[in-house]
Amino acid sequence: MKAFGKLHPVTLLVYFVMMLAFSMFLRNPVTAGLSLLGSIAFCCTLTDKREKLEDLKFYLPLSALIVLTNPLVSHNGRTPLFFVNGNAFTLEAIWYGVFIAGMIAAVLLWSKAYSKIFTSDKFLYLFGRILPKTALILSVALRYVPLMKAQAARLKDAQKTLGLFSTGSIADNLIGTVKVYAALVAWSLENAVETGRHMKARGWNAGRRTAFSTFRFRFTDAVFLAVFAAAGTLLLLAAAKGTLYFGFYPAPTPLPTDPISVSAYALFGGLAFLPFFTETEESIRWTCLRSKI
Amino acid sequence: MKKRMISLIIVLIGIPAVILLGATVFSGVKYVYFTLIVSALSLAPFLISFEKKEHTVTYLVLIGVLTTLSVIGRLLFSVVPAFKPVSAMVVIAAMYFGPEAGFLTGALSALLSNFYFGQGPWTVFQMAAWGLIGFFSGLIAHRLKTSRIFLLLWGAVAGVAYSMLMDIWDAIFADGTVMLSRYLSFLVSSAGFTVMYALSNVVFLLVLAKPIGKMLERIQTKYGI
Repeated sequence: MKAFGKLHPVTLLVYFVMMLAFSMFLRNPVTAGLSLLGSIAFCCTLTDKREKLEDLKFYLPLSALIVLTNPLVSHNGRTPLFFVNGNAFTLEAIWYGVFIAGMIAAVLLWSKAYSKIFTSDKFLYLFGRILPKTALILSVALRYVPLMKAQAARLKDAQKTLGLFSTGSIADNLIGTVKVYAALVAWSLENAVETGRHMKARGWNAGRRTAFSTFRFRFTDAVFLAVFAAAGTLLLLAAAKGTLYFGFYPAPTPLPTDPISVSAYALFGGLAFLPFFTETEESIRWTCLRSKI
Repeated sequence: MKKRMISLIIVLIGIPAVILLGATVFSGVKYVYFTLIVSALSLAPFLISFEKKEHTVTYLVLIGVLTTLSVIGRLLFSVVPAFKPVSAMVVIAAMYFGPEAGFLTGALSALLSNFYFGQGPWTVFQMAAWGLIGFFSGLIAHRLKTSRIFLLLWGAVAGVAYSMLMDIWDAIFADGTVMLSRYLSFLVSSAGFTVMYALSNVVFLLVLAKPIGKMLERIQTKYGI
């Protein structure tokens, strides 16, 4: 179920750009933590068990690597733990490493959710009006990807009967793939020209071009957009006042807890968990409906 | 003429203005944004002038297929990590269809392949990096076609340049500001990838440039593109 993904592409794009921008922009541990938790919760609703495990295997070592290497790069900080080649390995640098790791993981996870939700048809729908020719190239390319994959598989089978790919060694594999690739190029170039001619014969560019779309701007979208605009403005104002500021070096500054900051945290938390709540509400409703049958 | 002016204004005034603004008014605040805006601005003039020009639909489909080919290359050659023919294909496309086609193939390859490998803020930066590789390859297309050694050298340079450009993004992304020590550490930690990029460009250009070039030339003469 992708309740959140049913929103209009404009609404979705605004949301994701906002979350990515704020995750990178507000260098505050609380908002970074909220962004990370929100993105984890959202991604959990989007992925199956196997993918979750794969993600875990990717993000945990990556984060550990960032946390451990940051003190080697940055020697700022007041509390040296020990010295490596005369350079201090400081506690503050470890904390900053934890912060960067969380921030990077959050941005990666939001991007992952974006990739899952903001599919290529939505992308083409949005940019097809601004850049029609570029969008045409992109939609041609998108169509050719599965086509060429299938053709490559056929070519590979044919090459196998000729004795390629037989040993499984890397060199053998590479030579075989190069052959398949060259054949694919020859096949697809002719195909491209033929496609272009067909399109011309069928009157390409003769009239106004229309695009298939199932997207409708609903009332919900207007509400969501209004909420995003208001929340975004308030967060920007809070950031501009400097109340959310948090410094790591030389020693961590006290965490901002004035009323403005706390309400900014609440607001940002609401934004970060919004897709998760939408998804959960939808799945609860779905379970209730099913149990009634 | 007018669109030329707009492109020139964007490149000559817009980009320096953003960099200056980033360096002075917002000193050290958020380099990530300025990096993204600058890369988006460097994409804009190419895309605008391309949209305004007259093109046959065959040309457009051909660029689409070249883009797919470079992306499919990334999927097909899955045996060795980072050993991919993407940049090589971009260079070959630029050699035979010119700087504009090179730019489009490069930029759109980045965009398209990230539909499969994950989109993110880095897509913009990647598009600019690969697009520029294609654009410059198109500008020196004649030399690339006549001298094989020059072509292989160019492939190696493009691979190293791509890796170093992406490290700039990684470093700025991690800290929000420019930290030389971070950049250097990224350069060192990605040295393996840099070598692989350069090597794969050289190998693929060595193996593919001639046969694919022949096919492209044949298509050009056969269909008069």
